[in-house]
Amino acid sequence: MNRIPTAALPIWFWLFVAYLFLPLVVMAAMGFRDSNFIAFPIQQWTTGWYRSVLADEEILSALWVSAQVAVYSTTVAIAVGLPMSFVFARTRGPMRALMIAAIVLPAFLPVIVSAIAIRMFLGHLGLETGIAAISFGHAIGSVPFVVIMILTRLNAMSSNLADAARNLGADDVIVVTRIVLPFLAPALFGAMMFCLLLSFEDFVRSFFLGGVDPTFPVLLFARLRFGFDPGLAAISTIVLIASTALGLFAERHIRRRNMGR
Amino acid sequence: MTQILVSARRFGVYRNTIDTLARVPALRVALLAAIPLGWIAVANLAPLVQMVAISFQDRYPLPPGEPGQWTLRHYAAFFERPHYLAAFTRSFVFATLATVLTLLVMFPVAYYLSKVAPRNWRIRLLLLVIAPFWISEIVRSFAWILMLANNGAVNSFLALLGFPGLPLDLLYNNISLTIGVLYLTSLYMLLPLYAALEKIDDSALEAASDLGASPFKRLWRIVLPLSRDGIVGGCTLVFLLVIGLYAMPQLLGGSGNTLFASTIGQVFARAGNSWPLGSAFSMILIGVALAYVGLFAILFRSRGPGRSG
Repeated sequence: MNRIPTAALPIWFWLFVAYLFLPLVVMAAMGFRDSNFIAFPIQQWTTGWYRSVLADEEILSALWVSAQVAVYSTTVAIAVGLPMSFVFARTRGPMRALMIAAIVLPAFLPVIVSAIAIRMFLGHLGLETGIAAISFGHAIGSVPFVVIMILTRLNAMSSNLADAARNLGADDVIVVTRIVLPFLAPALFGAMMFCLLLSFEDFVRSFFLGGVDPTFPVLLFARLRFGFDPGLAAISTIVLIASTALGLFAERHIRRRNMGR
Repeated sequence: MTQILVSARRFGVYRNTIDTLARVPALRVALLAAIPLGWIAVANLAPLVQMVAISFQDRYPLPPGEPGQWTLRHYAAFFERPHYLAAFTRSFVFATLATVLTLLVMFPVAYYLSKVAPRNWRIRLLLLVIAPFWISEIVRSFAWILMLANNGAVNSFLALLGFPGLPLDLLYNNISLTIGVLYLTSLYMLLPLYAALEKIDDSALEAASDLGASPFKRLWRIVLPLSRDGIVGGCTLVFLLVIGLYAMPQLLGGSGNTLFASTIGQVFARAGNSWPLGSAFSMILIGVALAYVGLFAILFRSRGPGRSG
């Protein structure tokens, strides 16, 4: 390998890593500033902000709304995405292209357009905005990813397994619950975590489909427009650490499961 | 578990249902397909179809008892106000530049991760780079506000070094927006690029080296053509993401240069006859964006294999 690229590439890579992490470190540090204002340098430190945001009713209730939405939307997305991957795996011919286009459509629309279209659609049906509407919107956004993740795993499965079970007298329910679902478990788990995190971080859909109670990103957006205090940095850091830990845990878990097979 | 399912077969209703389903494949498919097809119809297609319909309506929602009137005037409105057209053009220029920038920044990163980094470190380094991406767009914007504000981290660091002319106006302009957007898009570029680069056989690169190809020639003749799918995929994802950005431009961008997604949001937030206008604008955005991306994909892919080799 040539000398110049091999020296430049690691430097470029680590610069990129610094670009990714520096703002987050700064944000975490700002949460410890003993003042009502955001400014550098930090002369006095306190853990007060980290403690007080965890007692802030508004923030806690927003986190609770976000958590509910994440669980509901993930449940719906998996419940729809799983049979959808089965159906798609069996579709052949021109229907296949048509179907994949219909499935991945939400992933290709600008989120704002999709959110507004859903809002008008629900309004047309006479349904209210709120937690249910946000969950519906998030599920729509998540289903394409669920299908893709499950299909990837499904394609790796040989049909011999199911055939062997059928020859041994297993009916369809047994084949699905004892053969297919256990085989898909890592993909299902991965898709589940992905949906949870995707829902938790979403802003635009929650913003347009939300009712009176905001989700966490919507509340943060609203507060950022009024002004900043170190407490916002503190709660953002807490959420950041929690979701990153969850993401890394899922990543590890899936990799271990995949290697075990 | 299996035991329970087996003993459940003793019940006639259950057994007959399952056996009928097993005998009639069409019925089985119909049962299985009901939820997915229903979902596609209700969740993916119906809202969009309704939006198309509303965009051609003179007024919406209609007062009860009044017939709807079809019109093209909301599409015409787009061309009548230079304000709209300017935001639209700005969005496309910005999204294109942001896509190119993301590609230029991320290609070396992806190349390093997939080809140069020590083999047993690759996954760990990839995870390191992916880790910050489970964070909301809003939190990321906030983190960059803290970095770039007048009394933010960058300015106070520069002050520490004794730079003159501080504070620098780093926030609320195109620079801060670009920095923030790159923060958002880099993963969507990285993953397709990584997947494509990882597939390139190392021996192809070695062979080229042995035959005397310069690093630049190797990049141009082997790496780029072989990673074309990754480049097209990454650029498509990033472009569509940037063209629909709504929150970050409001938090990090300047007030004077709104992007079209914000315009759409504002139109909908406006009281009165705003749904048809907003729907028409959404259709224009989707139509042009998908055509733009599709054209790009076709142009980039239609070259024959003879030229790429």
